[in-house]
Amino acid sequence: MDLTGLGLRVTAARPHVLLATVPGGAAVRLAAERLLSSRDWPQVPTPAQADLLLVAGPDSPESQAALERLWRDLPAPRARVHARTADEVEAALDAGRALLGSPAVQHESAALPAEAGGHQEGEHGSRERHEGDGQAPGHGGEGGGQGERRADDAHGGPGGGHTPHDAGQDREAEHGDGGQAHDDQDADGHGNPGGHGGHGGHGGGRTEMPGGLPMAEQGADRDGLALDQLHVSLGPFLADWPAGLTIRLVLQGDVVQRAGVDEPATPAAGGAAEPYWAQPWLRVASGERVPVGEAVRRRAAAHLDSLGRLLAVAGWPAEAVRARRLRDDLLSGAPRAAVAPRLERFTRRVGRSRTLAWLTSGIGVVTAQKAREAGVSGPAARAGGDVTARYRQWLTDIRRDLPRLEDAAPLDVAMEESPRGLWSAEDPPSAALIALLPRLLEGAELAAARLVVASLDPEPDELAARSAVEVARG
Amino acid sequence: MGTTDTVLLAALGVLALVFGVLVFTLNSMARVTFSLLAALVCVGGITAVLGLPYLGVVIVLMMVMEMVIMAVFMIAYMMNPAGLMPMSMLHNKRGALTISGLVFVALAAGIFLVSWPDRTASRPRDTTFQVGRALMAEQMLTMVLLGFVLLATMVGATVLATHRGRYDRFGDDLDQRPAKDPAGGGVGR
Amino acid sequence: MVEAGAWWTLLAAPGLLVVLAALAVAGNAVLDARNAGRPVGVAGAVRPFLDVPRALVVQPRRLPAADRLLWRAGVVTVPVAAVLSTLVIPFGGHVVADLSVGVVWFNAMEVLTWAGLWLAGWGPNAAFSLVGGYRFLAQGLAYELPLMFALISAATGAESLRVGDIAAAQDGLWYAVWMPVAFAAYLAGVLAFSFLGPFAYPAGRDLAGGVLGEVSGVDRLLLRAGRWLWLASGAAMAVPLFLGGGAGPGLPAWAWSLVKTLLVLGLLVWGLRRLPVIRADRYVEFAWVVLIPLTIVQALVPAVVNLNR
Repeated sequence: MDLTGLGLRVTAARPHVLLATVPGGAAVRLAAERLLSSRDWPQVPTPAQADLLLVAGPDSPESQAALERLWRDLPAPRARVHARTADEVEAALDAGRALLGSPAVQHESAALPAEAGGHQEGEHGSRERHEGDGQAPGHGGEGGGQGERRADDAHGGPGGGHTPHDAGQDREAEHGDGGQAHDDQDADGHGNPGGHGGHGGHGGGRTEMPGGLPMAEQGADRDGLALDQLHVSLGPFLADWPAGLTIRLVLQGDVVQRAGVDEPATPAAGGAAEPYWAQPWLRVASGERVPVGEAVRRRAAAHLDSLGRLLAVAGWPAEAVRARRLRDDLLSGAPRAAVAPRLERFTRRVGRSRTLAWLTSGIGVVTAQKAREAGVSGPAARAGGDVTARYRQWLTDIRRDLPRLEDAAPLDVAMEESPRGLWSAEDPPSAALIALLPRLLEGAELAAARLVVASLDPEPDELAARSAVEVARG
Repeated sequence: MGTTDTVLLAALGVLALVFGVLVFTLNSMARVTFSLLAALVCVGGITAVLGLPYLGVVIVLMMVMEMVIMAVFMIAYMMNPAGLMPMSMLHNKRGALTISGLVFVALAAGIFLVSWPDRTASRPRDTTFQVGRALMAEQMLTMVLLGFVLLATMVGATVLATHRGRYDRFGDDLDQRPAKDPAGGGVGR
Repeated sequence: MVEAGAWWTLLAAPGLLVVLAALAVAGNAVLDARNAGRPVGVAGAVRPFLDVPRALVVQPRRLPAADRLLWRAGVVTVPVAAVLSTLVIPFGGHVVADLSVGVVWFNAMEVLTWAGLWLAGWGPNAAFSLVGGYRFLAQGLAYELPLMFALISAATGAESLRVGDIAAAQDGLWYAVWMPVAFAAYLAGVLAFSFLGPFAYPAGRDLAGGVLGEVSGVDRLLLRAGRWLWLASGAAMAVPLFLGGGAGPGLPAWAWSLVKTLLVLGLLVWGLRRLPVIRADRYVEFAWVVLIPLTIVQALVPAVVNLNR
């Protein structure tokens, strides 16, 4: 009996999919999520659990290295497919299933990972508890994140600062991204020593360390303990996370000591992909006439998408699934009467959940005044408060928008804000949201940090659009 | 005691010793903690086989909780980095060897020197009840006192160890509500 | 009275536990399908079981500097402890081992998951996994004492630690009726030690799966099976502790045990999706300030009742 063949057929019958959304891939992600849910192909958050890596979005050279690392971490049997547009998703999934089910293909790929696996052990330099020496106090308590960003600027552009490290550094830097749990944290820890010859001595010591990993440094924490510092990156491919956002954390225990945001990666052709959720506003900006109903519909769907993410992060998958179904129905143009009752029930259940409010209250407080000072204009500014206030604001906004889904009047960009705030191509609302993050995250616990990011839910694609504008002007 | 019990007793005893030796020979804090746990679980088994099932199972229950919590503290405070570096559990080797040798000899001598009483009454059916009676009837006062002393020690140690006092939490006039904490608790104090 | 130690019970108990766990998984899949708008049917209910043959062909995970021995030990501990816990649970008129300290045995086995999950989080040497392992300890410190007091309430009511005696002592009036706080604390404890639903904190989606994030293949299957086995075991234990065991009119004892177990299991599976994950940073304080005093008072009730009997 061919047990392996049976196993492969079974795997192909219900592949577990790791969905990696690259910049500009929001529309593809939506299509993929809808399809995966209707096919009952579970979406998993780490490569260890996945059979199929689905890359969603246009080609993005900057994400290539991180995607390779994800792919390397997928255990065999495995398959990798790429859907560049929403229409390609179905074909990509079918192709992935065929690849998974084919013993010939899998036999070949199983041989490869075995090799790669050995390789991998060496390559995976960076795991948690070890941290780069670069974060030694001498580097300034202010944090590697900011220092590094400055370095990036000096190198003349996002990512520019990383490339030399990646190339010049050994295997630890290789793991620079950290989209996943295990990805590493050392990119900046090691990036720094890369630039400082004085740290070279640590390289020799590394050989004696378990797994060739560097030793952790200690640092004082908020509770007065001296604990090891871990360098953990959140993003760019973390599950339920704004696609393309990378936040580098220094953790002690699960408390965030420092947080620094990387410049988001841009899609290949510089502005080729427009931010999906702000599309109606962009179209108006380019002189097109867009009905308000369409914009409002897009905005409500964006809020539902954000809510889906927040609820997933808050560990309420049942309601997250509901939010995403409602989002998909809105985007597919379902008439108001069809969605209104379900939307009403959903907003009531989530909005009135005392447990959810209890769990999210007091986390990530941004007062209305602070928000305005930071240039935030959207729901986050109007909510003026903690995570609870912000998700309730989304729910309120969705309810308010409900009667206008079929409004045919032309969209006035100055009157109607885009999902994340008043639209402006030079200063997209997500930029202000992202700028808020480091201060909010520092001192928060990991779970709280994830809730804060999910409750602001910035869209890095908007920033990519900004750089496109700049390029056009420059 | 039947053959099965004797075999079990011997096997558990040997295992407990093996794990006990491993505690001092392994070089990872996590492994050391869990071999100590394994040794203590064997001791729990021995206690149960000897006819004190309640104490035996409670030893297992308590030791698992205790050792897991201990692992957290040992790894957090004593290791660098985080228990992953090879380490040794042996310190002050000569002194420790002398002391442990003496203690072992004293205890072993005790086995032979004490004139153990013969069992006069018949074996109780439910030893759990006996244990409870012994602890909670004649020794009630001792147990209650011990309980309070332990609780007071725990609370006191925690208070001494915390670097934030009530003035940090509630302000100089102790009137600040809710308290100023790095992370909110569950009941909104 | 229950009859203990028949040889076939040694096979029947784990078998029954696996069947109950499988039913819970299938029920959960049906609810998931309904929620996601997929057609509800038998095909959808059995789809999760495709993961079982799949697990056998998946490559095991290889990570740098992983502590494979401890990792494996932790992964195996969780389901094995769940199976061992069923030894003392009477089902109808039969039980594998009618220990005089059955309640403590169940509790001790349940506490083994502390060690198991911490090890499963520690082993792979990955940040999120490790945080997941630690999270379970924080959760354990919160749920364990209320759970213990709930068990103590039932044992005090029956004046025995033998599970069969506790079931027999509820002649006419179930403990669930006059010890509702203990029953609720017990059910919350069951969800907590099977780290499912509102207590899936150690395997949280915000940690990309936490303790489950880095395991693949058979290891993953064991750890996930452990969750559902614990849920089934907890549901089965609720019956003798709080619902009168196999007692009931008309039907034989085993049938009553089965019906009651399935009802509790159904209630738990339904409850999984009613709440978001209750993080330990909130739950610990709630447990210590509210739940522990409540369950202590609850334990006092049967004590006083028995004194006056």
